[in-house]
Amino acid sequence: MMRRLCVILLLMVAPLSVVAEGRDWLRDGLEIPDVEVVARRPMRDIGVDQTKIDSAMLHQNISLSMADILSFNSSIFVKNSGRATLSTVSFRGTSPSHTQVVWNGLRINSPMLGMTDFSMIPSFLVDKAMLLHGSSSVTEAGGGLGGAVRLSTTPVQEEGFGLHFVQGVGSFWTFDDFLRLTYNKGRWQTSTRVVFSTSKNNYRYRNYDKRENIYDDEGKIVGQYYPEERNRNGSFRDAHLMQDVYYKTKGGDRLSLNAWYTNSYRELPLLTTDYGSSPTYENYQRENTFRGVVGYDHIRRNWQVGAKAGYIYTWLGYDYSYNNVASTCSRSRINTVYGSLSGSYSFEEARVVLSADVTLHENFVRSEDNAVGYKADRTELSAVVSARWQPIERLGVAATLREEMYGTKWTLPIPVVAVEGVVSKKGNVMLRASASRNYRAPSLNDLYFRPGGNPDLRSESGWSYDAGISSEVGRKAIYKFRVSASWFESWIDDWILWLPTNKGFFSPGNVKSVHSYGVEAQASLWVRLAKDWRLELNGSAAWTPSVNVGEPISAGDDSIGKQLPYIPQFSASVTGRLSFRSWSLLYKWCHYSERYTMSSNDVSLTGRLPAYFMNNIELEKGFSFRWAELTLKGAINNLFDEEYVSVLSHPMPGINFEIFVGIRPKWGKKR
Amino acid sequence: MRLLRQITTIFALLLTSCMRWEYGEQEHFNLLGEGMFVTNEGNFTFGGASLSFYDPEGRHIENEMFYRANAMKLGDVAQSMVVRDGVGWIVVNNSHVVFAIDVETLREVGRITDLPSPRYICFVSDEKAYISQLDSDRLIIVNSKKFEVTGEIVCPMTTAYRTGSTEQMVIVGDYLYVVCWSYQRRILKIDTRTDEVVDYVDIGVQPKSIVADRNGKLWVVSDGGYEDNVIGYEASRLYRIEPEGLEVEREFELGKSGTGNATRTASRLKINDAGDTIYWIDGGVWRMSIEAEELPAEPFIRPTMTGSMPSLYYALGVAPDTEEVYVGDALDYQQRSIIYRYSREGELLDTFTAGVIAGDFCWKR
Repeated sequence: MMRRLCVILLLMVAPLSVVAEGRDWLRDGLEIPDVEVVARRPMRDIGVDQTKIDSAMLHQNISLSMADILSFNSSIFVKNSGRATLSTVSFRGTSPSHTQVVWNGLRINSPMLGMTDFSMIPSFLVDKAMLLHGSSSVTEAGGGLGGAVRLSTTPVQEEGFGLHFVQGVGSFWTFDDFLRLTYNKGRWQTSTRVVFSTSKNNYRYRNYDKRENIYDDEGKIVGQYYPEERNRNGSFRDAHLMQDVYYKTKGGDRLSLNAWYTNSYRELPLLTTDYGSSPTYENYQRENTFRGVVGYDHIRRNWQVGAKAGYIYTWLGYDYSYNNVASTCSRSRINTVYGSLSGSYSFEEARVVLSADVTLHENFVRSEDNAVGYKADRTELSAVVSARWQPIERLGVAATLREEMYGTKWTLPIPVVAVEGVVSKKGNVMLRASASRNYRAPSLNDLYFRPGGNPDLRSESGWSYDAGISSEVGRKAIYKFRVSASWFESWIDDWILWLPTNKGFFSPGNVKSVHSYGVEAQASLWVRLAKDWRLELNGSAAWTPSVNVGEPISAGDDSIGKQLPYIPQFSASVTGRLSFRSWSLLYKWCHYSERYTMSSNDVSLTGRLPAYFMNNIELEKGFSFRWAELTLKGAINNLFDEEYVSVLSHPMPGINFEIFVGIRPKWGKKR
Repeated sequence: MRLLRQITTIFALLLTSCMRWEYGEQEHFNLLGEGMFVTNEGNFTFGGASLSFYDPEGRHIENEMFYRANAMKLGDVAQSMVVRDGVGWIVVNNSHVVFAIDVETLREVGRITDLPSPRYICFVSDEKAYISQLDSDRLIIVNSKKFEVTGEIVCPMTTAYRTGSTEQMVIVGDYLYVVCWSYQRRILKIDTRTDEVVDYVDIGVQPKSIVADRNGKLWVVSDGGYEDNVIGYEASRLYRIEPEGLEVEREFELGKSGTGNATRTASRLKINDAGDTIYWIDGGVWRMSIEAEELPAEPFIRPTMTGSMPSLYYALGVAPDTEEVYVGDALDYQQRSIIYRYSREGELLDTFTAGVIAGDFCWKR
């Protein structure tokens, strides 16, 4: 395993942002950014283990969700079963509910389910994405036993009025549309974005889980074959509308409004082992979600305060019927009110920064299925104070203390201590270490879902430690290379797991203790190969054993000391972009090792999830006219037409294609 | 350009690392002796159901037999199995299918597809069988020779809530008795000659298991529902019911083995071949004579204790000739179940592992 890891580490490599908003790179070719390699980082990043996803990667093509972006640009585990299906993200061998997700300061994990569906987040609606690994997430939000994902939108930089439209047409009757209108003048910046995606998503695949029979005249089976089937009942229609407004006052204060509406209709594909053929079969989910947040930031030279208020409304519907008999008709309504106050003060001479943040989420949930359900509300209060100190230029120390309240229960204090130091200026070699405690409260479904909810659940709790090394070298306008690696270890107790009962439904319990540990590594290279030729490479890899170290739940329990099911021990990704003038070739590769489907790590014929490698490629050409910039892009997904599954009984699509045409008119701009 | 060549080489290495799917081959079996099939449900929506076969004489278990014999998956949630005239009928709930296999070669001989939500199959004759449905008020009638659906019986439910549900079935004389489980409390009496519902009775919340004793009396266990269940929440109950007029003759309160949703329930009512002793799971395994006036004071088999945690037994079977008792522990429901084999006297004879969530036992004689 370690040998494999080392090989991948050597291969790793990541792009720098080369496409800045408003830059006429189509005409001029890709401009090389001035590279200034410095080891000194902002004091707010002292001891923080983070992965930045740059906007060029986020805005590759409009068909991608954040799940796709994270699959190919990080080593965290993304689990999904194809486009527009539930996509969850987990760090360091933990579960999806251990990943906290924050959008413009607003936590968007479902209070009902505890996790976030990343397939519902088009990457074109995100301008900045940051992964905070392990204890580094505590500064952002509590409950991130694995880590946190910070997503945000930013003010548009391009002056005046702007329009960007992209039309995508792809395999399986897939259509993707993106429209962005921007305006930036004086103190005002606004952005309106619309994403609309629809697809029959009825790809063909060879069903190796099933065999069709060939009968003789007497009805006896005389032969069998694996049928070629289509992905049945997999269509989707997603629409997003996002509005951002920013206003900067004379004094430099900033006001912001971010609003995001999602409307989604998604069918749930049939299993490969489904022998139903009812024409009246229905199995689909619908979602209407509004998220809105307003913010105020008062920023001065050495201090700043900010306030935010937000609201989330989600309506979820799930319907299942067979032969016109509706057996499931689930409806959930979630209202969340959010408010936060933050502030920081910098003692410049002493090189000390103090900061504090108080956040309130009030959740109201009503969930029912044919009149069985629950209604619950919960107040979630979280306060954090941090101190960061840089006694000498080469050394930084940070201490954070968070305290959280869920309902009427308070967690024990959540401390984080971190230290980092530059050990070699030549090569900018920096060492970093941190330790923290963390908690995650049960979700409202865990506590109250009917049937099965368990109000006696305890919060999951954990300790985590990590240490890392990074180095960054470069030569101005020639190349830049950065590499980092982190070792981590975490212990999580009272892990919540839903298990079947002999009443026919599932019920959660605090059943496991988990020890996860391993190594995460990243590297990036930007290099000018020759005049007009640029290469950017970005790679990451992770080795993340996640082991059940709890007590046996019964005699014969063979899960103790074993890797958790459905979590790969090894994952890696590489992206490479080769650019020549207005041409750009992007290659994406990712790998997940085999995932066990049994907690005992037995490998069975019926429950195998073999390792897979995925290769995607995109070729883009830009055209610059007097009146507009045009882009033409072709994308090939699953380049080698691999037959694979990420979730049992859900085949993934084979090779498929999509082309995109984009236009940016140059209205009122200098030609 | 040297760097470019090196990078190209690296990419070439990556591209050669593609996987190809590996699929099974058909094995040849010839199971001539007696034995026991175990249907393993597998986890819901993962298509991981499987079939195991246990040889009691040789004390040997073979797993994933359906897959190995047929080179395809059994499906999603194998609920139950019946053997009749050398053919095993496996009901696979969330695959909407019933497979028929030769019990010696384990090869498929036919299938009945497009069933709404099949749970159990009960034969009236060589050609006619009924299939109950979890999410439907329709009992399906099939021609088992032709593997065809020939009709359905619309069953009156206790409430119109949800879809209705039919569960386990037993035949006494010319009548089929069906328990209606999910959000119901009803037992139906159906004339197998006319396929008409001729009578019914409402008893405790969610009757789930039914057997008939040597006197033709019906024994039923209800699971009692759950907190906030629209049809009620109460202790599990054991009933003895007279089949002619559906009069409840005896009623025993069960589910005293614990508290909370997960443990306050009784399930898996079984009867021995002689029809004079019933067995069920309620924490441990309980055994009672059909003539008994009171419940036994102690379980026949106590749950295995690990620290302070008792095993949550999930499956139960009683061997027809030896009256040996097989108990399945699904552990954490994400690994192979452990099956305990006990003698009629309660002595542990053997322990072996089957598939994920072993749910039902079926004997090949």
